[in-house]
Amino acid sequence: MSATLSPEVASFLESGISVLVGTRDPRLVPEAMRAVGARVEAGGAELTVFLPAATAARTVANLEDNGRIAVCFSRPIDHRSLQVKGRVLSIRDGDAADRAVIDRYLEALAGTWQEIGVPPTVVRRVTRWPAHAIRLCIEEVFVQTPGPGAGAPLAGEGVR
Amino acid sequence: MTPTLAELHPCFQGVIPSLITTCARDGTPNITYLSQVHLVGPTQVALSQQFFNKTQRNIAENPWAAVLVMDPVSFEAYRLLLRFHHAETSGPLFERMALRIQVIASHTGMAGVFKLRSADVYDVVEIERVVDFLRPSGAGAPVGGAPLPAGPLTELRGLQTISDRIARACDLEGLLAGALAALDELFGFSHAMVLLPEEPDGHLVAISSRGYGDAGIGAEVRRGEGIIGTVAERRRMIRMAGFGAELRYGRAIRGRVAECGERGTLAPEIPLPGLPDAQAQLALPLLVGERLMGVLAVESRDPLHFDDWDEAFLGIVGNQIAMGIARTRAPEDEDASAERPGGGTRGGGSVRRSFCYYRNDDCVFVDGEYLIRNVPGKILWKVLGLHLREGRTEFTNRELRLDPALGLPAVKDNLESRLILLRKRLQQKCPEVRLVPVRRGRFALELDCAVELIEKETG
Repeated sequence: MSATLSPEVASFLESGISVLVGTRDPRLVPEAMRAVGARVEAGGAELTVFLPAATAARTVANLEDNGRIAVCFSRPIDHRSLQVKGRVLSIRDGDAADRAVIDRYLEALAGTWQEIGVPPTVVRRVTRWPAHAIRLCIEEVFVQTPGPGAGAPLAGEGVR
Repeated sequence: MTPTLAELHPCFQGVIPSLITTCARDGTPNITYLSQVHLVGPTQVALSQQFFNKTQRNIAENPWAAVLVMDPVSFEAYRLLLRFHHAETSGPLFERMALRIQVIASHTGMAGVFKLRSADVYDVVEIERVVDFLRPSGAGAPVGGAPLPAGPLTELRGLQTISDRIARACDLEGLLAGALAALDELFGFSHAMVLLPEEPDGHLVAISSRGYGDAGIGAEVRRGEGIIGTVAERRRMIRMAGFGAELRYGRAIRGRVAECGERGTLAPEIPLPGLPDAQAQLALPLLVGERLMGVLAVESRDPLHFDDWDEAFLGIVGNQIAMGIARTRAPEDEDASAERPGGGTRGGGSVRRSFCYYRNDDCVFVDGEYLIRNVPGKILWKVLGLHLREGRTEFTNRELRLDPALGLPAVKDNLESRLILLRKRLQQKCPEVRLVPVRRGRFALELDCAVELIEKETG
């Protein structure tokens, strides 16, 4: 299974919206954590997600165990949401280029969260560094906007 | 230190959406937002299910769920490990959660489309604070900011002032305007309105407001719709926090319903009278005995603005307003004293306003723009007609009450509230025509324009 994101979907995912990571341990006990940004790669076939080392120890342990990952991207103001499911290709420590992406992401997130009443000073305090860079291949993409049809595979122009 | 579930109470008000991860039997995780986390007891929470989705399918296969919640004041994050216990589709818990969803659904025109399927109860197996989710703030100042401490004496004096204004008001308009002004000036309820029920179906009409300008006057809310309509129907106070978040959630679903070709099932969205970006609303019924006199609604852009104190305080003020409204309904005697000249036309030739009355729905338009309908519309039509035909400029409440064509009930007729509404609508849409109280039980028609009257059967 594989899916490739369209440029429009890729830019939505990179637009400073919430990035949420779901994993599970060997006993299938799930874990939820917020990421600090993502970058679409390999022409839309892969994704790198950034997770702060301080808060993501359990998530990273799960990914090292089984590599199964779900990433939900959601825009707070209208709940437009997509969920990407995939398998981890690599886990490494973030580098200087990643750090620039993370800093830009949190600055953009401060703007989108301000729209729903969260002060930008709070988003700027989110622990971000050091961070892990989780690279994954995209297997499936689902529409996650709440309502009927939530959970349906993204079709049409969004993926190839 | 592990916090208790009760200490996480602010996280469950829906201000910041919570996340949930579940896992299918084949090991595929799933992560999504949750619309509602409801505190059930010291060791249980309930999650709302509006649609059958992947989360529910996963839970049927594997009962574990991880939920991440955020405190809307401190912005600390907490992780809850849950294990599915049972689902409820009736009973008090289900009713409480369904009421909240019903309010959101009807506000977004989705009554019946977006409703609670089940309240899923989970055991909370672990609670932990996400350590280092936030870096320490520079100054160590609280992020949310606590309200200024208010001493009991200050509050009591403020309450006394409001009570005085209500007790001494000489008419309904003064009573409501005075009470809302005092609530704003003394207690910071800067966006408030009072709506009164109208026959025959008991829909509510905004008659007085504070903080919105005059635009909301005359706005109508049907029984059972939105927070205000639901308060009127159930005669219970409702406080919604994080209202904006849930409204956005409801609108997102509405958008998906429309995209999925089910547009025909949607009712037109009710414009919420008030702040377009309200984050919290508190509305309460104004009751005298068994009788609903109206609804008092306050709102704020701050999702945590209203708490238990506001409920109790506004409950007292609401009772006073309700009794005040009942008092102004007592039939007035015409006051022969304090004669004051009024009425008539001044320089009527320069401007011309054209009024059109539609008989089928008792609607009055002025120069093609909707003005007013029902009883206030019929009153305006009668007054303007008598002026054109007989040159009259002064009218009594008594003659309006005695005119069967206006359809006022024999007792407790709300005539005063209808005249207030009519006066305010004229101020907004046609300031050249004014109804000015001259003395108790009498008013004068003042015109700064020429008036044309047209009657049509239908629009």
